[in-house]
Amino acid sequence: MSQTAYLWLGIALLALSTVLTRSGMLLVGERLRLPVRFTAALRYAPACALTAIIVPDLMFASGQLQLQLDNFRLMAGIVAVGVFAASRSTIGTIAGGMIAFWVLRAWFI
Amino acid sequence: MVKAGLSVPQALGMTFTAYAGSAQLAVLPLLAVGAPLWVLFFTAVLVNLRFVVYSMTVRDVFAPQTAPRRLGLGYLIGDIVLVKFLAFRHNEPQSPHHLRYFVTGATFNWLVWQVASVTGILAADSIPLDWGLELAGTLALLALVVPACAQWPPLAGVATAALLSVVTFHWPMKLGLLAAVAGGVAVALLFERRAA
Repeated sequence: MSQTAYLWLGIALLALSTVLTRSGMLLVGERLRLPVRFTAALRYAPACALTAIIVPDLMFASGQLQLQLDNFRLMAGIVAVGVFAASRSTIGTIAGGMIAFWVLRAWFI
Repeated sequence: MVKAGLSVPQALGMTFTAYAGSAQLAVLPLLAVGAPLWVLFFTAVLVNLRFVVYSMTVRDVFAPQTAPRRLGLGYLIGDIVLVKFLAFRHNEPQSPHHLRYFVTGATFNWLVWQVASVTGILAADSIPLDWGLELAGTLALLALVVPACAQWPPLAGVATAALLSVVTFHWPMKLGLLAAVAGGVAVALLFERRAA
């Protein structure tokens, strides 16, 4: 699949999620019942999937595992988790992580 | 969006069809790293899930409308608009203008949001790439995951998924991601059963 087609498909799926979640309940009457085990598994799947995207993104650089202190992205991620734990703020988390990243990079490069 | 590799038409297409700030923010880093489309779709649905609850609260107001109109009204639902609308309905339960109030407020909100969004898309080229802004997308995802880990089962699941994602990093076709999700969910369910 070409990169362009991939991006357009992604956009279409995002649009589909908008339609399903916002208008779905307005269009169909009864709530669909899914098997309990299936919905239970579904509850955990998104957090696991996101984790499996975030962790390699922060820990790997050019195909190699980078757990040293000079992996600024990883350090910024750790700072961001700390900021979130303290503030519960999404914007604060992003800002805190980015500032940590910029400061580290400015100091050590 | 433009920074994540989207062309200007694609970014515009996204902002007009999705009309969902948090979902777009969550999906962009996924698109940037080329994540599988099913992951992208589940993430978008997860982040948009609150709209299912929102739409339930306004269902009775929209019920008399035709199906295409309900589709359009659903599209206009937004966080701020809904809070304002529910307050209005609470204060003026007898008012005949509930629907008009919603449509006016929601349309205004839509206009402001889209003007800001389009400005950002067109101005993106003046933001230098070496700010490392793509990291901001990953941090936004982090802010979605951390609050989900408040209990033992999801925390155990997420920890498992983290470990598996590192171990399986070199697997082809993003199969490692699938393994990490399957392993994480399995461990989370195990913990849940033990707690019960």
